[in-house]
Amino acid sequence: MPFKDLREFLKRLESEGQLLHIEKEVLPEPDLGAAAYAAGKTPGGPALVFENIRGYDQKRVALNVHGSWENYALMLDLPKNTPLPHLFQELARRWDRFPISPVVVRKAPLKETLITEDINIFRELPVFRVNEYDGGPYLSKAVVASKDPEDPKNQNLGIYRLQVKDKDRLGIQASAQHDIAVQLRKAEEMNQPLPVAIAIGNDPVVTLVGGMPLKYDEDEYEMVGAIKGAPAEIIRAETVDLMVPAGAEMVLEGEIVPRKRSVEGPFAEFPGFYSSTMRQAEIKIKAISRRKDPIIFENLYIGKPWNEQDYLLGLVTSVTLYKQLKAMAPEVVSVNAMYCHGQGTIVSTKPRIAGFGKIVAAKLLATPHGLVYPKVIIIVDEDIDPFNLNEVMWALLTRFRADRDLVLIPNTPASTLDPAGHPRGLTTRMIMDATKPVPPDIPLEGLSVVTPPPEASEWMEELSRQIGKTRT
Amino acid sequence: MEGYLIRKQEKKMFCPRCDKDEGIKCADAPKDHSWELYRCRYCDFVWRSTEKESIKNRELYDPIFKLNEEKIREMGEKPAIPPLKTK
Repeated sequence: MPFKDLREFLKRLESEGQLLHIEKEVLPEPDLGAAAYAAGKTPGGPALVFENIRGYDQKRVALNVHGSWENYALMLDLPKNTPLPHLFQELARRWDRFPISPVVVRKAPLKETLITEDINIFRELPVFRVNEYDGGPYLSKAVVASKDPEDPKNQNLGIYRLQVKDKDRLGIQASAQHDIAVQLRKAEEMNQPLPVAIAIGNDPVVTLVGGMPLKYDEDEYEMVGAIKGAPAEIIRAETVDLMVPAGAEMVLEGEIVPRKRSVEGPFAEFPGFYSSTMRQAEIKIKAISRRKDPIIFENLYIGKPWNEQDYLLGLVTSVTLYKQLKAMAPEVVSVNAMYCHGQGTIVSTKPRIAGFGKIVAAKLLATPHGLVYPKVIIIVDEDIDPFNLNEVMWALLTRFRADRDLVLIPNTPASTLDPAGHPRGLTTRMIMDATKPVPPDIPLEGLSVVTPPPEASEWMEELSRQIGKTRT
Repeated sequence: MEGYLIRKQEKKMFCPRCDKDEGIKCADAPKDHSWELYRCRYCDFVWRSTEKESIKNRELYDPIFKLNEEKIREMGEKPAIPPLKTK
């Protein structure tokens, strides 16, 4: 893999015409959020690097770095026009290389500057309000390292929204389903702080893996190595006993203050709605290590789908669920969990036994991501491509029998970010088994599916040629 | 005396979101005094002097997002603080 860090990847994007430098002066608000939204909505959207942010010297902002399939393919060192199904297959193939152990390095540009006094995040980073009614500026794409207080070998990386509340104080959303919440609970039971290291401006694969719903004891650095095909480079933090990505632009080091909650949010979130405002945990920052200026502050626009958040999380969530499901049910063929962070998930499977589709759905709910996210689950046969919604609708409308194939599971955990939760944090899961019934279930009548005329493929080629002639 | 004056000045700044007079300046632009950042010591709202009036002006701030003591008191904890483990 060619990229050691964000800077190298940005160069690659530029050489492929997938990066724009914005030289004119912009305001932190509303320009940065608005431009990031626009880039994510642009087909083949480029990454944006802002060179001139009012009030800042020697700081740059990178947005929409993962925000198109073209950028995504280049991140995986594939041609930028690689089709989505191939991206899925390639990620699944690389997954099988897991684990590849990281290598510890002693030097990194990250260590050029160390700040332990007069901490001021507002001075160090051009933070900005992403959406109009966010409660303040947010770090929305930082990768947070932490470890289990009772099992220090178990380190975690994750992307959690971080509200910049003051020069040295962050709010953190540690949702109950996330690994860091498990660690925080253990620390708080002992009334101890939970050390954290927050890496900003990372190798794009580090960020990608930070958003993967891996199992609690699976090491994200080992997955970075698997996806890259080369070991992740990590380096020891300065003031906390944690390993951080060596390629980062900057690392904020500190701790989650035990047993304290204060107002956090709202923040525009992945369902396209503002979160509610809640009392959440806080981080005290005690040290900053960083490169010499100019720092590249990479951040994420989040809002109504589709946008960069969906590129960043959608495919990797699909592949993660596919691998976890496949381990439990080898009949599973593919998984599409690209809608609202997998709140809508479609699984294709071979049949095993009558009613098997419902069991596959139950296994989906047994994954780490299944704990809260999938609430509309559609199971289809292997002849249906879950990424082709026309085919999925066809299966639903011809194979699904509501009286036999609809399962509702009320009062199950949900993300508090789902605005349809009532109350927020609880939902009803809906399973729609759109697979063909197999004996002893009652088979569908008239199973004579209309197959395409054998000569159709020749005609399609002929018509394509004719259209090509007309248009040239 | 100077500190007193600053404190008096701080007290005059109302938070656009919760209407408490707890707004204080928390940062200056590192370059050209281009803007100031403020934060509310009561609800942790942060805003910049260069933002829209609908963000800075408490009369214009969207009522849906306004906070008050009652709303904050009734907010859920995320995640819940666990009981202390006794040794």
